Amino acid sequence: MSETPTWLRILSRSGAALLGGYAFSYASTACLARILPLSPADAVIVATLPAFVFYTLAILWAFASRDALRAWAPLALAVPLALIGFWPQALRWLA
Amino acid sequence: MKNTFTQSMAWLHTWAGLIFGWLLFAIFVTGTLAVFDKELSHWMQPEIPASTVSQADVAKRAISYLQQHQANAGNWGISLPTERSPGLSVSTGDRRHGVVVPLDPNSGEPLAVRDSVGGNFFFRFHFTLDLPRNWGIFVVGALALVMLAGLISGIVIHKKIFKEFFTFRPDKGQRSWLDFHNASAVLLLPFHLMITYTGLVIFMMIYIPAGVDAVFEGDSRAYFQAQGNARVEQPRRLAKTPADLVELAPLLAQAEARLGPIGSIGIRNPNTAAALIEVRPVLGNRIALTKGNAMVFDGVSGRLLSDVPELRPAPLTQRVMAGLHFAQFGGYPMRWLYFICGLISCAMIASGLVLFCVKRGRKYAPADSRADAAARRWYRVAEVCNVGFISGLMVACVGLLWASRLLPAELAQREAWEVRAFFGLWLLALLHAGVRPAKQAWVEQLALCAVLCGGLGVLGIFAGGVDHLRLGVEVTGLVLGIGLALAAWRVACPKPAVVKPRAARTMEAKA
Amino acid sequence: MISLVTGSLLFAYAGMLGLCQGLERHYKQVWQRSPSPALRLSLRALGWLGLLLSLLLCAQAWGWAMGAVAWFGVISLAAVVLVMLLPYWPRFAVALVAAIPVWSVLHLFG
Repeated sequence: MSETPTWLRILSRSGAALLGGYAFSYASTACLARILPLSPADAVIVATLPAFVFYTLAILWAFASRDALRAWAPLALAVPLALIGFWPQALRWLA
Repeated sequence: MKNTFTQSMAWLHTWAGLIFGWLLFAIFVTGTLAVFDKELSHWMQPEIPASTVSQADVAKRAISYLQQHQANAGNWGISLPTERSPGLSVSTGDRRHGVVVPLDPNSGEPLAVRDSVGGNFFFRFHFTLDLPRNWGIFVVGALALVMLAGLISGIVIHKKIFKEFFTFRPDKGQRSWLDFHNASAVLLLPFHLMITYTGLVIFMMIYIPAGVDAVFEGDSRAYFQAQGNARVEQPRRLAKTPADLVELAPLLAQAEARLGPIGSIGIRNPNTAAALIEVRPVLGNRIALTKGNAMVFDGVSGRLLSDVPELRPAPLTQRVMAGLHFAQFGGYPMRWLYFICGLISCAMIASGLVLFCVKRGRKYAPADSRADAAARRWYRVAEVCNVGFISGLMVACVGLLWASRLLPAELAQREAWEVRAFFGLWLLALLHAGVRPAKQAWVEQLALCAVLCGGLGVLGIFAGGVDHLRLGVEVTGLVLGIGLALAAWRVACPKPAVVKPRAARTMEAKA
Repeated sequence: MISLVTGSLLFAYAGMLGLCQGLERHYKQVWQRSPSPALRLSLRALGWLGLLLSLLLCAQAWGWAMGAVAWFGVISLAAVVLVMLLPYWPRFAVALVAAIPVWSVLHLFG
């Protein structure tokens, strides 16, 4: 791991911050919008308002985490969140 | 990235701050100027007279002009004189591609007003960087996220937030720059966080459409319908039946009693049985952004068809956050608070950028330094960009004001030339920074900027058309110019001759 | 309105000054001696009182919703002014609170 050139490590972390962060905040917004006990129109707004908190946390995580692989954790976390958010669509796709 | 959390955050703060700080500075400066966008627009078009005619009379004149010249147009728009912008203009066609004709509010006759991008340029640049609209929104959004990350990482690495809450130690080189950066960031932290986050909230549905995608299957029309934002429509066949337009004055009075000062009127299908009159208030009767809200009247009977909507808590929250960013509420005192807070934000970003170079100056700047050539070259790039993106951008901004007054009034595509002047000056400033030693470049550009700011009043004297709004712009320019001149002078003579003996003694006592 | 805003700025400044002078290093910076614990405590209490009065004046000027927003701006700006004055003219930075009685007279009888 220590042999990786610096620029590649920075690129990986930046990618994790930008893409992983986006996937994470997108998925958590979708998940929140699905599970919040509000009317759909309100749930969408209330779920989207904190999206940038999630994004910021993911960015900080990407640069703070100890090893390069863990920096991509938000991306992995996005999968189950997106499944909750999009479960009707997912079921339809499976059927 | 590094061994400890704090070190990682310091690394992130330093490098993200440097690379994105240049554009963030531009966004913050233009955003600060956009607080006074209408006033700047008014200044940039000196032909627009001041008027004391009542809104009802002005609206009548505008209508009679439209009846005479545009009786068959499908859409009329009337932008009424308000406290912040005394101009009157009428438009036909839709909002983006309409034809706008400025009128003299005192006579109702067309007025020869120079084309100018106005203060609106700063507003547009603030959220698009003058890129194509959708690209710009995403780039600025990404930069706002970097700003948020920068603020949070800054809090993490600044360990003595409360211990050094009131600390500023001038004339100590790097120490002073760090103190200033910390103080301006910490003391205005609520403002920084608020302005950055609410900026993201404005376009949140564009950035993260996840909710609409998940719950409404990506159908944004269905989402808007669920929000209850349906537009009042008249049966289309009525648009073929001619009918007389109702008298406006009573409707205006009714709307003003309900909404406060009126900003504009829109009339759809005028002179037909389908005529609809929309009366929109000036923004700022409340914190929540009420853009697009209107009272809609039947254009023939004058009956109220739809009132401004009462917002449910969730949309209200979003509107309040957007409103906090737009700063249209609370009148001029609030506007000044936002403006000064914005200026300090700009200074905070600029001081961080300068700090980057000051910190490394001793290592890289001297020609005989032992640092390798590549590192020295990168240091020089940072130095040049600092000058070009900080003082250069300020020169470009005030240069735009000069261009609006100095370019010939009848120039074809005048607005495009103004924008070219802005970017041309910015480019020249970058080139100038590239060929001059850093310190000279700073002094010369800051001094130029000071002269241009202070000289706005001179332009005002020559062009005439003085009123209190334009005078306000010029006086503000003078004050900012004096500040910039002081900055230039401090850079030119880093050890100021006048140090108060007592202050110096306190310093020694502490040191 | 202008008078209320000025007042809220002055009280915010006095409040921040109280909090600042309640800290040993800044008290020393102005007076070259240490404050007694009782003095420190009362300075801080006065500081919070100043901030509170500033909030009340903001609310009077703008109403509670806008006033609360304005208050954050007002206390931030007041603190910046204080921090910039303190190292250059420490005694003047303290003497500036004398503007409050002047303002009170003007506000009440003007």
